[in-house]
Amino acid sequence: MNRHLRWLPFVSLVLAPACGGDAPAADGPSVALLTSGPVSDAGWHAGAYEGLQLIGDSLGLHISHQQTRTPAEFDEAFISYAEAGYGLIFGHGFEYQDAASRAGEAYPDVTFAVSSGSRPSENVVPIIFGLHEASYLAGMAAGAITRSGIVGMVGGVEIPSAKGTFIAFEAGVKAMREDATVLETFIGSWDDASAAKEAAAAQLRQGADALIHNVDAASFAFFQAVREVREDGRTAWAFGMNRDQNDVAPDVIAGSAAIDIPKIFLQTARAWQDGTLEGPLFTGLAAGAVDFVPNPAQRGVIPPLALRQIEEARLLIAERKLEVPRIDFLEPAAGNPSGS
Amino acid sequence: MSGLRPAAAATAALVATLAIAAALLAVGGYSPGVAFTALARGAFGSWDLFVSFTLVRATPLLLTGLAVALAFRAHVWNIGAEGQLHAGALAGVAVAIFLPLAHPLLLLPATLLAGAAAGALWASVPAAMKTRMGVGEVITTLLMNFVALFLAQFLVQGPLREARGVFNQTDEIPAAARLPTLLPDTRLHLGFLIGIAIAVALWLYLTRTPGGFRIRAVGASVRAAEVSGRFRAEPVIWRAFLASGAIAGLAGWIQVSGITHRMYEGLSPGWGYTAIAVALLARLHPLAVVLTAIVFGALSAGGAAMQREAGVPDVWVRGIEALVILAVLAVDKGLQVLGRRGSRA
Repeated sequence: MNRHLRWLPFVSLVLAPACGGDAPAADGPSVALLTSGPVSDAGWHAGAYEGLQLIGDSLGLHISHQQTRTPAEFDEAFISYAEAGYGLIFGHGFEYQDAASRAGEAYPDVTFAVSSGSRPSENVVPIIFGLHEASYLAGMAAGAITRSGIVGMVGGVEIPSAKGTFIAFEAGVKAMREDATVLETFIGSWDDASAAKEAAAAQLRQGADALIHNVDAASFAFFQAVREVREDGRTAWAFGMNRDQNDVAPDVIAGSAAIDIPKIFLQTARAWQDGTLEGPLFTGLAAGAVDFVPNPAQRGVIPPLALRQIEEARLLIAERKLEVPRIDFLEPAAGNPSGS
Repeated sequence: MSGLRPAAAATAALVATLAIAAALLAVGGYSPGVAFTALARGAFGSWDLFVSFTLVRATPLLLTGLAVALAFRAHVWNIGAEGQLHAGALAGVAVAIFLPLAHPLLLLPATLLAGAAAGALWASVPAAMKTRMGVGEVITTLLMNFVALFLAQFLVQGPLREARGVFNQTDEIPAAARLPTLLPDTRLHLGFLIGIAIAVALWLYLTRTPGGFRIRAVGASVRAAEVSGRFRAEPVIWRAFLASGAIAGLAGWIQVSGITHRMYEGLSPGWGYTAIAVALLARLHPLAVVLTAIVFGALSAGGAAMQREAGVPDVWVRGIEALVILAVLAVDKGLQVLGRRGSRA
């Protein structure tokens, strides 16, 4: 038995400095962010991280970020931050809703903001990005530039927020070109680069020449697929999603359906500081939170007439005169079970 | 031979590992001191951190580690703990959701049985292929992992999808199917104790029973065991496969029952594979697996704290975790070699 435990002194050496000492309490009001993917994705997670940094720089608040690996880590991360004195904790994605609700009950003094969340309570604030509105405008652009009349959509996991952007995109395409065929593939992952590339390549083979995605780190491979079909002499365009990705692949992107996540995070943190933060928070075109951004490096790809029509639609949506199809995934507000 | 030389070697390896990790961190622009402090504190900083984070993370590693250790003892190279874990989780969830038993004393045992049975069932395919057709289990158990992962994906997107049909996950399991918390105000659940109990049981089985002796005999040499004429190896190999699969299946269901309360894609970050390192580091000794699982749990909990407190990104944390694991395995091997030389002298 002793033989088996010889490495014990080694382990205890590693751990010796650990014992004693409390976790460092956050200094003053502090804001934390949880993401379930790498913040180097130049999209959904990157936007959130930029927002966190903006909060740190603009409001002078202490900030911290953790990338969680499995849903079991969600609770742990919320508890860790709440125990360390963080007052506002962003969970960036619908997947954090359950854990945020649990943490919200356990830590009534801490505010939990859940991007695309579904269950508001006193201190759990879902932030609903009206990305479908921008996606509709991107769809109009795709409908205007497709020559084959076939448009593709490559999604990550088929969740309501992602599906909603595709429904709106398809409506936008059809608004410009009624007879268009719209292909849809969900690859079952946000980060699987080879699956995204394969799905895009398959749609390109079926004749699609204007493609949008809604994945995270896999988007680089999605853009690469469009780039490669170009090398075969075909014309095809890609659209960016979630964040203004025009600079990610300026050679193939016609425009991006973008959320200004940093701006919304900053507004959320300000409201939290002022004690005026209440959820759920809806934020779309009217608030300047989302928009369709044509790629400045590819001026002329989207015909001027189409750009004017897109501009008109943008105004109509902002004035609530044009209803973009969407999926509502918000649940009825929960009561306060503790009664406190 | 004196115990000083291994201790000195271990210390030297430790210092070298820390130096390499520190240099890497410094190159990346992160303070090694802050990072290591965070790593250590995240795992052992307080009783609560140790119990709620480190031991909770150690639990699936403990169970899968035991599954691997038992199989490897019989020279059954079960690389399929990951798939058996998913099979167990799926079966447990299905029973918890569809079996109309309201009382925890009925429902919990039923789900635990289902989890273990599904894990064993998953392991029975490679077992049959090995004993009937001589197909190497390294490949079959590994491939069965992918089948399990895709099955899980299919089920949570289809038949087992939550009733409101919004997300790719099952409904929450009823309260009667949840493992109780061990200590009040912590996240540690009964699953950890189940793991310890299985470790002790396995140790007694392997060292004190004829069945355990046969497993060790087959592990030492299948041919020698058969030539001795006292027993056939095939049933022993079957038993090792099934028991290993059952324990791994339990690991999956216990994680759902104790922590997540739902099944979804990506339940495990690869525990079934890490389990191989856990078991090897424990030199396949069931009681030592308890300790190595806690070490790996601590490393994982500390890694998360390194992100939160030292701002070290996840990819760096994973790299450093891998480095530490490699170093520990290398030291372990070095000590073995030193020990052998010592005993010869």
